[in-house]
Amino acid sequence: MSTATSLRRVVPILLGCLALPSCEAPKPKPELLTPTEEPSKLRSYQSRTFDVATRVAALRTVMDVLQDLGFIIERANEPLGLVSAARFAEPSYNDVMSVTVTVREAGEGRFTIRANAVHNNRPVVDAETYQKFFAAIERSFVLTRE
Amino acid sequence: MRLPGRDRSGAATAAVIAAVLVLPSCKTSPRAAHFELQPEAPKYRAAQTRYFETTDSKELLSASAAVLQDLGFGIEESVRELGFLRAAKERSAREHGQEVLRGLFMVLSSAASAFGGDFYTYIMPIDLHQKIAATLVARPLDEKGTRQEVRVMFYRVVWKGDGQNGRDHIAPGEQRMEMVHDPEIYQQFFACLAKAVFLEAHAL
Repeated sequence: MSTATSLRRVVPILLGCLALPSCEAPKPKPELLTPTEEPSKLRSYQSRTFDVATRVAALRTVMDVLQDLGFIIERANEPLGLVSAARFAEPSYNDVMSVTVTVREAGEGRFTIRANAVHNNRPVVDAETYQKFFAAIERSFVLTRE
Repeated sequence: MRLPGRDRSGAATAAVIAAVLVLPSCKTSPRAAHFELQPEAPKYRAAQTRYFETTDSKELLSASAAVLQDLGFGIEESVRELGFLRAAKERSAREHGQEVLRGLFMVLSSAASAFGGDFYTYIMPIDLHQKIAATLVARPLDEKGTRQEVRVMFYRVVWKGDGQNGRDHIAPGEQRMEMVHDPEIYQQFFACLAKAVFLEAHAL
């Protein structure tokens, strides 16, 4: 058998071996759906529980604070405890900060407020942003009680 | 204990570097600044808010919707339980001044290109279309609900038309948004609302 003939046989086999792994679907990583530390840490930044009598009172406070901060309320849903708002970063007008706030009952007279902020289509993950928001909410609750 | 000269200057440099490293962390990040109350916030709030001596929150919200309709707005969203309304109207944003400026730029750039030899025409994009929107929230100020607060915020989104910069075409659709902070606009709205509910609008 000549060298050219043996090469003609070997090359398709080699190509087949190379092509085979690409036919196999990539296996999902085992940690893809398991909760990691990061999301739980983020959730803790984004959530705070307050003593409020009703869901409506909590939602009204959230809306009031968002308006004070210059946000435009886009949607509100009382039964779901949902408020979504957005604001342009004046005076640049190019940056948009949008926020979705949910209010969920966490026991008798207690409600958990969770905020998700998105800056120019990127989720905000720094704790400071949420600290500022909840400080404003806390201040508003104190003023309401007074 | 006294440090020798070189050690002292080293310690001073280290202190300056540490201060420089620490300083930026004290400053609020631009994203967090969006959630900080601005110094103008109380002034804007005062202009945007009035309260009415009434227990009828439903009538107040209904009258607010009617006033917005009278002003040419269409109601886009309403939630009675939260006293929330969102309304908008679309209008032309063309302004005489911008048209004149656009013509002037075009003539000047064409003349310059005729004398200079190079082709260069600048056609300034101008404001074409705008959406004026309002969000309104009415809420009781006390537990008995004898006083109701109404807060309205107006803003507008403006879209520019197309233009030309030399041989490059400037595509239409550039968008900008601005809050309306003119107190007169809010005064007019609340005057209409007070008339509609036969009540006096009290400033905060």
